[in-house]
Amino acid sequence: MTILLNRLVQAAMVAIIVGVSTFAMMRALPGDAAYRIAAGRYGYDNVTAAAADAVRAELGLDAHWFPALLQWLGDLVRLDFGVSLVSGQPVMQEIVHQLGASLWLALAAVGLSLLMGPPLGILAGLRPGGLLDRVLLVVSTGLKSIPQFLMALILILSVQMGWLPAAGYGQSRHFILPALALALGLAAVNARITRDAMARITEMPFYRFAGWKGLRHGQVLRRHGLRNVAVPLLTYLGLQFVTLIEGVVVIETIVGWPGIGHALVHAVFARDVPMVQGTALVLGLGFVLINTVIDLTVRRIDPRGRT
Amino acid sequence: MSLLQLNEISVHDGATQLIAPVSLTLEPGVPLIILGETGSGKSLLAQAVMGTLPQGLTARGRITLGKDALDPAQPARFRALWGRRIAVLPQEPWLSLDPLMRAAPQIAETHHLVRGLTRSDAAAQAQKDLAALDLAAVGQRYPHELSGGMAQRVAIAAARAGGARIVIADEPTKGLDAARRDDVARLLLDALGRDGGLAVITHDLALAQMIGGQIIIMREGKVVEAGQTSAVFAAPTATYTRDLIAADPAHWPARSTLSMPVPGLAPAAPVVAAKGLSLSRGGQRLIEDLDIAVHPGRVLGITGPSGCGKSSLGDVLLGLLAPDAGAVTRAPGLPRTALQKLYQDPVAAFPPRRALGMTLADVAALHGARAQDIPAQMERLRLDPALLNRLPGAVSGGELQRLALLRVMLARPAFIFADEPTSRLDPITQREVITLLRKVATEDGVAVVLVSHDMALIDKTADRVVRLGLGGQEQAPVLQDAFAG
Amino acid sequence: MTAIPNNTSPARLAGAAILALLAALALFGPLLVPGDPFGQSLVKSLGGPDAAAPLGYDHLGRSLFHRLAHALRLSPAIALGAVATAGAAGLILGTWAAAQGGWVDRILATLADALLALPGLLLVLIVLAIMPGTAFGFWAGLSLVLWVEFFRLTRATSRAVLASPAVEAAQLLGFGWPYIFRTHLWPEIAPVMLTAAAFGTATAIMAIAALGFVSVGMRAPTPELGLMMVELLPYWREAPSALLTPVIATFALLMGLTLLAGSRET
Repeated sequence: MTILLNRLVQAAMVAIIVGVSTFAMMRALPGDAAYRIAAGRYGYDNVTAAAADAVRAELGLDAHWFPALLQWLGDLVRLDFGVSLVSGQPVMQEIVHQLGASLWLALAAVGLSLLMGPPLGILAGLRPGGLLDRVLLVVSTGLKSIPQFLMALILILSVQMGWLPAAGYGQSRHFILPALALALGLAAVNARITRDAMARITEMPFYRFAGWKGLRHGQVLRRHGLRNVAVPLLTYLGLQFVTLIEGVVVIETIVGWPGIGHALVHAVFARDVPMVQGTALVLGLGFVLINTVIDLTVRRIDPRGRT
Repeated sequence: MSLLQLNEISVHDGATQLIAPVSLTLEPGVPLIILGETGSGKSLLAQAVMGTLPQGLTARGRITLGKDALDPAQPARFRALWGRRIAVLPQEPWLSLDPLMRAAPQIAETHHLVRGLTRSDAAAQAQKDLAALDLAAVGQRYPHELSGGMAQRVAIAAARAGGARIVIADEPTKGLDAARRDDVARLLLDALGRDGGLAVITHDLALAQMIGGQIIIMREGKVVEAGQTSAVFAAPTATYTRDLIAADPAHWPARSTLSMPVPGLAPAAPVVAAKGLSLSRGGQRLIEDLDIAVHPGRVLGITGPSGCGKSSLGDVLLGLLAPDAGAVTRAPGLPRTALQKLYQDPVAAFPPRRALGMTLADVAALHGARAQDIPAQMERLRLDPALLNRLPGAVSGGELQRLALLRVMLARPAFIFADEPTSRLDPITQREVITLLRKVATEDGVAVVLVSHDMALIDKTADRVVRLGLGGQEQAPVLQDAFAG
Repeated sequence: MTAIPNNTSPARLAGAAILALLAALALFGPLLVPGDPFGQSLVKSLGGPDAAAPLGYDHLGRSLFHRLAHALRLSPAIALGAVATAGAAGLILGTWAAAQGGWVDRILATLADALLALPGLLLVLIVLAIMPGTAFGFWAGLSLVLWVEFFRLTRATSRAVLASPAVEAAQLLGFGWPYIFRTHLWPEIAPVMLTAAAFGTATAIMAIAALGFVSVGMRAPTPELGLMMVELLPYWREAPSALLTPVIATFALLMGLTLLAGSRET
C-alpha cells in the first residue's frame, strides 16, 4: 500500500502549496483587502467600516502573518474555503456546479485523443521508419508546436467559415470544437508515446519468441503487444492530465465554457482568492486522484510492481 | 532420412560475404553443435535457417526440411514453419516470456492457436507439459516469480507445444553457472528424444561436450573444423580448435604454488584480512563467520554459484560495504587508493564519452606517475598505443579489461579485487587476461582476490581458494588451503 | 565543459536555423527599418505594408513589423531567463538529491511531485497576482514551474551515473567530487538538459502567449504574441494577414524549439 501512502503525501503537499500560495496572494491584494472582501459579500452599497472591520478580524488581516497563515491552512484542512468574493456564494457550491462541465469536456478530449493517437502510434511502431511512421512524426511535431489556445483559435475560425458548429454550451455537438482543440494536442503526444513503446516491444525477446512459437502477426500483437503497450501509455496519460487541465483552463476561457477553468481565470482576474484556492485545490487533488487510480490499474495489469 | 539439410548456405551483406558456404545435415536423435565465439557467424547461420536475418542481409543456398525444399533468400515464407516444424529456444528465457502473462497460458496459447486445440484442451495440455517438467505448481505464476531454471523449462514447453520435431537452441547457457549449465544440457537431451532434431548454438565448450553428437566449429564466418564431437575434442586438427580447447581453464596447466616465491618480500603480513565476517543480502545470510587473509603477490580465489555473495564480500574487503559482523583489517599506513577493483563489465567502469588516453592521463596525474609510465605499462600489458584515442565502447572486451588493469596499476595498488573480470571474454582472451593479472600480481607484489563462477579457472589460478555455498547457514563456506595439502 | 550535443541531426539543425532567423528579425529588424511599436496612426488602421511598416498596420495603425520584433524579444527573453534560473536550480538540487540520498532526496522529490500535480499556468497566474510587475512575475512563476522538470531529469540521470561502476572506480582511484561531476555526470546530463531547456523555453513562451490571449498576462499596449492575436482577432475578416503575423511567428518559434529539442528519449 505504499502507492496510496505516497499519493496521500503528495495530496497533502499539494494542499500546503495551494494554501501557502493563495495566502500570499491574499496578503498581496492591492488596496484594503477587507473592504474588497466585504464589498464582495454584501455588495458595494452595503459596505460599512464595521463590516470591513469584521472581515478584517475574521480573516486576521491585521494579525501577524504567521498565526494568520496557520488559521488559513486550518480552514483549508476543514475544507472551509469560505465564500466567493465576487458572487458571495460558498466556494464549494460554485465549484461543484462547474466541475461537471469541465469533467465532460476533459473526458471528451481524452476520449477523442485516444481514438486518434494510440491506434496510429501502434501502426507506426510496428514498422519503425516506414511511411506512416515518418508522416506521423512530422504531423505530431507540427501539432506539438501549436499551443492549445492557437488550436482553439484555428477551430473558432473554422467555425466562422462554417465548417464546424459555433461555440457554446449545452448541445452535445458543441462538445466537438473545444474537445477537438484539446484532443489534437494530446493525440500528437500519446501517438508518439505509443509508437515508441510499440517499437520497443517488438524488439523485445518475448515478442520475437511469441512468433517463434508459431503465432501469427495479429495474434502476437493482440496477445503480447497491446497489453504491454498499455502500461507506459496509461502511466503517461496520468501525467498528461496536467496538460489537459491547462488546456481546459485556456479553452474554457476562450469558448466561454462554464467550467472550473473558466471560473479560475475569472477568479484570478477579479482577485477572488477563496475561489482561486478552491479551484486550484480541486484541480491539484484531481490530478493526484486520477494518478492514484492509474497507479492501481497499472498494478493490476503489470504484476512486476507488486511484491 | 535426415530432418534438415543445409546445402551451401552463405550469408551476404550486399557484396560482402559474411559466412562462406556451409553444408550440414541434422539427423534424428543426433544432436548438432555449432560452436564459435561472438562474431564467428554461428548466430547468423542460425538466423539464415530460421529466416530471421537482420534487414539488409541475404542468405543463399538451399535448405531441405524433410521433403520440402526452401529458398533461404525468401525468408518471409519461413514464418509458417515456426513452432510447427522448427522450434526455437531463446537466449534469455526470462526475457522471452511475456512479463504480463502467467506461465501456463503462455504454453496453452501455442496449443490453442498453433495446434488448434480447443481452449480447455489447450489449458489441460499445458498443465500436463508443466507437470512433465516438474513445474505443475508454478503454472499460475508470472515470469518474474519464476527462477531462471523454471523460466527456461517453461520456455522449452512453450516453444515445443506447436509440435515441431526440430529444436534450435541459441546460446542456451548464456550467463549461467556450471550447475545450471548441466541442467540445461540434460533438458535439451531429454527434449531431443530418439527421433527429434536438436541444433545447439554455443560458445561453451563444456556444454558442447555434454551434448555430444556432431559438431562444427566456426571462426570469422568459416567452418574451421567439423566431425563427431568426442573425436574433435579428443584430437582437434585445426590450430584454432586446439587453441580454443587449450584455453579452456579445465585444460590449463596446474599451478604449483610453492615453486613461485614472491620476489623481495619476506613472509609478509596480509595486506587485507577479515575475521569472523558475516554478511546478508535481502534478509538472507550469505556468509557466516568467515576468516580470510590476502598476502602480497598472492592470489586468493573465491568461487561459488551466482548469488552467493562473492561480489558483496569484495565490497566489504574494499571498504565499500559494512559487514553484519566481523572486522576487516588493512595493513597499517595503506592509503585509501591502494585498494582497487576490476569489474566484470569494463565498459561500464570507464566514463563512456571520454577518450581512454585522457582517462588514463587523469589517473596518472592524480597519482604523480610520470608521462612515460603509461607507454611502459601499455607495452607490459601488450596493448596497442593507438587504443588510447578511442572511446571505451570502441575497443574489444579483452583490450578494455587490460586497460582497466593498467588504470588500476597507475594508482600503485597493494590490493586488487577482481570481480569476474573475464566472464564476458572468450576463452583465448580470458586466458591472456588472467595470465597478465597473475603476472602483475607476482611482479609488483600486489595482493589479488579473484572472483569467478568457474571453478576450474580458480583452481588453476589461485594460491588459495574460498568456496562459497548458496545461502543458508548450513552451507557455511569451506576454506580450502592450497598450502595445507 | 560544453553543452553542444554530438548528435546534430538535420531536424535539430533546421530548428536552430529557424530560431536564428527569428532572433535576427527581432534583434536587427528594427535597426534596418527604424520605427516605433507603440506609435499609433488611426488613419493607417489595418493598412497594408509600406516602407515604414513592412508587415502593415494593426487596428490602431501601429507597425506590425515593429510590434512583432518587440514581441519576439519579450517572451523569449523572459523564457530564457526563467529556463536559466530553473535549469541552474534543477541541476544543483537534482545532483544534490541524487548524491545525498536520504531525507534531502525525499523532501525535494516530494516537493517536486506536488508541484507536478498543479497546472503550471495556475501557478504562474498566482505568482503573477503576488509579484509586482508582469514580466518579473512571469519570470518568477515560470522558474517555479520549470525547475521541476530539470530537477527530475538531473536526479534520475545522476542517480544512474552515481551508481555505476565507473563512478565507483573513480572514487576508488581517489578522484574528488569536482572531477566526478566534470567527467562522469555533466557529459550525461548536458544532452538531457539541452533537450529539456528547449522544451522548457517552448512551454514558457506558450504560457506567456496563452495568458496574453485570455487577457490575464501581459497588458496592452505591450506587444506580446498572445495579446497581439487577441487584439487582432476581431478584424480577422478585414485583415487576415494581420492576425496571421503573430500566429505564424508563434508557430515558427515553437516549431524551432521543438525541432531543436530533438527526441525526448535522448
